[in-house]
Amino acid sequence: MGRPDLSRRQLLAAAGGLSVAASFGFAALGTGADALASGADTRVRYWNLFSGGDGANMITMLDAFRKAHPDIDVKDSTLQWGNPFYTKLAMAAAGNRAPDLGVMHMGRVTGFSPGRLLDPWDVDLLAKYGVREQDYNPALWKRGVIDGKLYALPLDIHVQLCFYRKDVLGKAGLLGDDGRMIPVTSTDEWFDVLKKAKAAQKKGLQTIGLWTNDQNFQWWFFVAFYTQLGGKWFNDANTEVLFDPDKATQVLEFLRRHVTDGYVIPGAPTGEQFINGAPFTWEGNWSVPVFSGAKLDYGATPLPPVFGRPATHAESHAFVLPHQAGRGGATNEGAHELAAYVVTHALQWAAGGHIPAYTPTLSTAAYKKLTPQNEYVSAMDHQATEPKVWFAGSTGVLAQDLGPVVVSSTMGSAKPDKVAQTMKSHLTKLLASKNPMDGRTAAQGGAVA
Amino acid sequence: MTTSAHMTTGAVAAPARARTAAATATVRRKQGFQHGGWFVAPFLALFVLFVIWPLLRGVYLSFTDANISGDGASFVGLDNYREALGDSAMWDALGHSAYFTLLVVPCITVLAFLLAMLAHHIERGKWLWRLCFFVPFLLPSTVAANMFQWLFTQGIGLVNETFGLDTPWLTDKSYAMLAIVIETLWWTVGFSFLLYLAALQGIPDHLYEAAKLDGANAWHRMVHITLPMLRHITGLVIALQILASLQLFDQAVVMMDFGPGPEVSTRSFVQYTLEQGFTSYRVGYASAMSIIFFVIIAVVALARMWLLRTREEGGR
Repeated sequence: MGRPDLSRRQLLAAAGGLSVAASFGFAALGTGADALASGADTRVRYWNLFSGGDGANMITMLDAFRKAHPDIDVKDSTLQWGNPFYTKLAMAAAGNRAPDLGVMHMGRVTGFSPGRLLDPWDVDLLAKYGVREQDYNPALWKRGVIDGKLYALPLDIHVQLCFYRKDVLGKAGLLGDDGRMIPVTSTDEWFDVLKKAKAAQKKGLQTIGLWTNDQNFQWWFFVAFYTQLGGKWFNDANTEVLFDPDKATQVLEFLRRHVTDGYVIPGAPTGEQFINGAPFTWEGNWSVPVFSGAKLDYGATPLPPVFGRPATHAESHAFVLPHQAGRGGATNEGAHELAAYVVTHALQWAAGGHIPAYTPTLSTAAYKKLTPQNEYVSAMDHQATEPKVWFAGSTGVLAQDLGPVVVSSTMGSAKPDKVAQTMKSHLTKLLASKNPMDGRTAAQGGAVA
Repeated sequence: MTTSAHMTTGAVAAPARARTAAATATVRRKQGFQHGGWFVAPFLALFVLFVIWPLLRGVYLSFTDANISGDGASFVGLDNYREALGDSAMWDALGHSAYFTLLVVPCITVLAFLLAMLAHHIERGKWLWRLCFFVPFLLPSTVAANMFQWLFTQGIGLVNETFGLDTPWLTDKSYAMLAIVIETLWWTVGFSFLLYLAALQGIPDHLYEAAKLDGANAWHRMVHITLPMLRHITGLVIALQILASLQLFDQAVVMMDFGPGPEVSTRSFVQYTLEQGFTSYRVGYASAMSIIFFVIIAVVALARMWLLRTREEGGR
């Protein structure tokens, strides 16, 4: 039985050799063998940060693309979103191992050293595959343009929304004839709405979920309401801070009042309480699949325009071309084709709650039938965004610096007017500081559209 | 003549023999090193590659303005260190790490000792107690932290529910660090518990028997036998706990949803360093902070060694 002449030592050596060979073999598989195996001529490596429902949606769209384009093999990798993703993307681009196509948050593009870590899009090539500037909301398109070149191709915008339960609001008499929440135009009206809703809601729950302890959400809400007040951040040349502490104080006091008036249980889970019967929650539009899945009778509007003019904080997922020394040829064209395909077939994407950036999608009958998406699509026209500087963008330096400061005001450990001053000094410091990626300040940072 | 000749040969032979012996020893040592060296080599290679080299690289980077992409860095001298010393957020973070250490170390030492006494003296179901006290230590930090996040959540958490409280454990700065401390005690006490238990089992029974014969009661036996015999283990537990607690990171980050805690009250030094390096992309600055932290920890470790030595010398 077996081979009598095989000693234990030989056996171990053979096993060791095999495992080493196997690991090389698998490594090779990862680098190109699979493209050859699929029989495709072109292979596009695509990095994204979509998990959960978004991830499933993206995979469905990629599969559809693969079916329609058998000549292009898409090798997609999903990485954890937030800073881990941006760190990997930056290091890959700097080390010339960048994927052919990537996804970023629009606000982060300016800080990502366009021209060094990112390559510009070939707009003619995009047009060939059906994506043109005129198919976009102009403000949104412009956010991806730096030094006259397009670096980010928007896929969607995602916003914070005011979700409301129609069953509770109906009881409180807060629904209009169209079955939607009655419009609100001032802070007094808003707190009046909350008061009525509280009277009609289940006991033991909060009236509104406000993420009072979350630095990202609090920061996003601040950006939204500060924009509603017409607040500015910097001058156009990014040389001067125009942040208005008085307006900021107004916003901070507004956020704080939800806690002091007892409409919020600080730290209570927002989505769960909403599902259990809390009348309101302010959440990202990505919660739509969750609430729809829970079969709630609910609606979703942009954040209420309590300071007069409507504005809702918006970020966008956008396609980018991470920098490659020898970018070009069929792979580059494949990356353009894939991005254009996903952008123009974004109805699937909209099911996840995001507002498609490609405007022809918005006018399709299928999109107009999506609820509650059709109720908040107007957010596209009044986006409140962070300033276009290197330190802005989703989970970026600005959010990291100012988010906790806003939280301290909302939670009540610091006075709103003092916090507003702190925010201004943070902004002054950030504006003067250099982007570690390229050693340039915001004023030198080439963010001109 | 013969004698002298003999003596001469003898006088010559002795050093020669000594030389040969020395040579043999050298050969043995060499062979020993060669054989031993091969056994140590894999560890040594990994140690140099993953500890020594990164450390040297970190020192070098701390004098530059390197960013995450690794290129285009220029030498900035002591600028990073100067900035770090004036960075109030860094001092806050250091304060949080120190505060955590101050809370955890005494608690864990006392708790581990009491649990070990309990498990050592209890007669029935000994194995069950040992298992209960030690098993949490085997959990990955994320699992333990996630469990306690649930337990402490206001409104739905078991802790408030059980004790009829409405404490905002995770969302108020006066409680957040306490919640992390409680989690850490439960999660890591098993390790120190095990050290104490082993040491307790190593105390010879005849000491207790003799003391009993001399009429010492339980309290006397504890104060005059158990505690002195455990002195070295107590020193070890305290030292290991200080070093581990100063490096607070994973449980705080997970329990605070990757944020800096309510009003930045739980952001540890390690977390702040990570943020500087990987959110702000300031690798040079983050390296300088790592080096500062390295020095702080080294000083604490050396101070403890020195204290222990002088105490022992004084005792003898």
